[in-house]
Amino acid sequence: MSFARWLALSALLALPATARGQDARLTERLDAATASQVQQAVDSAKGAGLPSEPLVQKALEGATLGASDDRIVAAVQSLHGQLRRARQALGGDASDAELTAAAGALRAGLEPSALRRLQSLRPDQPLVVPIAVLTDLVAEGVPPAEATRSVLDLARDGRPDDEFVALRRQAQRRGAGGEPVGRPALRPAADPPVDQ
Amino acid sequence: MSMSAEHDDALDDEVLRQVVSELRRPVRLDPSLDRRALDQIRAEATLRMAPRPDRRWRAWLAGAAVAAGVGLAVVLPDQQRPAGAPASPVTVEQGEASSDARSVRLRLAAPASSRVAVVGDFNDWDPAATPLRPVGDGGTWIVELRLKPGRYHYTFLIDGRRWARDPSEPPAAESDFGAPVSVLTVS
Amino acid sequence: MSDSDAALVARTLGGDLTAYAALMTRYRDKFGRYAFHMLGNREDAQEALQDSFVRAFRSLASCRQPERFGAWLFRIVVNRCRTVRRRLQRSRRFDADLPDDVAAGGERPDAFEWRDEIGQALEQLRPHYREAFLLRYVEGLEYAEMAEMTGAKEPALRMRVKRASDQLRELLRDVHVR
Repeated sequence: MSFARWLALSALLALPATARGQDARLTERLDAATASQVQQAVDSAKGAGLPSEPLVQKALEGATLGASDDRIVAAVQSLHGQLRRARQALGGDASDAELTAAAGALRAGLEPSALRRLQSLRPDQPLVVPIAVLTDLVAEGVPPAEATRSVLDLARDGRPDDEFVALRRQAQRRGAGGEPVGRPALRPAADPPVDQ
Repeated sequence: MSMSAEHDDALDDEVLRQVVSELRRPVRLDPSLDRRALDQIRAEATLRMAPRPDRRWRAWLAGAAVAAGVGLAVVLPDQQRPAGAPASPVTVEQGEASSDARSVRLRLAAPASSRVAVVGDFNDWDPAATPLRPVGDGGTWIVELRLKPGRYHYTFLIDGRRWARDPSEPPAAESDFGAPVSVLTVS
Repeated sequence: MSDSDAALVARTLGGDLTAYAALMTRYRDKFGRYAFHMLGNREDAQEALQDSFVRAFRSLASCRQPERFGAWLFRIVVNRCRTVRRRLQRSRRFDADLPDDVAAGGERPDAFEWRDEIGQALEQLRPHYREAFLLRYVEGLEYAEMAEMTGAKEPALRMRVKRASDQLRELLRDVHVR
């Protein structure tokens, strides 16, 4: 190799991954092809003004939990779509945290219209906690329609964040007994909470 | 970023040129808003001549608000749990805020384990980053984190080989990888 | 021949409210256009303008260059739009109604839809990006003026304008068919 080429190559390799446009965490933890695909989704999100860090975290989650490359890429792309739909529902004003929470809500099967309604009922305060509680209620087994109703009622009455959190604690207690450690986390919303 | 000539960002895109052309069209607002503005201006001129509320009363009110705020911030974690709430093996408690990060304590009951770590959105899911420490001799493990407001997926790794969800926090409705994951919201 | 801004400001400070009315008439529609695109509907834009006029009056004595009253007022309008937007998020809809100067010819057959699409696309932008795009390309400000108006630095503003352009192009690419 000529000296000039060696110099160029060394310079390139000496650059941190971030300077080459890649998130170092991805290249360190995923194989090259997967890292590249995830990076594409990350760059696309950035270009569209969507939060990109949740996508990186989703990939790292998959890596740590031992998921296959296909599943990792699928999960990242799926989240990208959910973030985009979250922004369609909430508009350009929504913060990254709100968009991320909203993406989770959509993933849990809640309707974009519920999110828009929530936003219209609570225009002055951040929506992260109400959206998070809405998602958590469904995750605890509360039927989406009922969860939506409860959360919107609180929003309509102008209740503060603590009361949304209290709502969630109530649901947790109703469904308490919980799951034995080690079982898969996803509980279908169709199952009614078990009263104990 | 280079400070190049003012007009080097001229629109060379046909779509955007049409958009801008459309947006430049005149928009006529209701002229009666001028009158409403004048009405308000006149009303304020009248108000300025009215006596001001007692300044001392306002200062007391402001002080009371600050005191209440401080009181909330230093409440001890255990006192935050409402009466009648189940004693959960894992609790997330929010302590004082500084900058906008909050103290959060994670606790897991894992008797007969030799090591426990937590992985999640707050530590790039790195199993080596955040070990829990055992307390007492009843198999309880604890760690304190400082987290900015937001929503975090996380799970526990027991003895380097077993994943365990936090039973007192909701499961992730978005679990993508078949392993148990919880979500905590820091507000 | 109408009075200059400086003259009208001087008369207003002297207690002549009709002079202030003339200033409002002069600037209502110009800044109303910006407010309309920033906030997405007529009512909110009117509220922002009305609010701005009242605030401008209150602090008129601090307008150090009355001959540049327009720019000074515009800065207040830009700020009001940021606040009004946060407050009135619930009524975030957009009027694709025709502007008052519909030309007899040259209007595309799907004009209503096209304006609606533009309004929706603007709505998708982060407020800072939308603001920068409108100030640069619709209001035709130079970056130095925009910096003065918004308090942001020029490189940041350039970046916002670029991002806004990229996003709008992306959002409207499939819609725009001629």
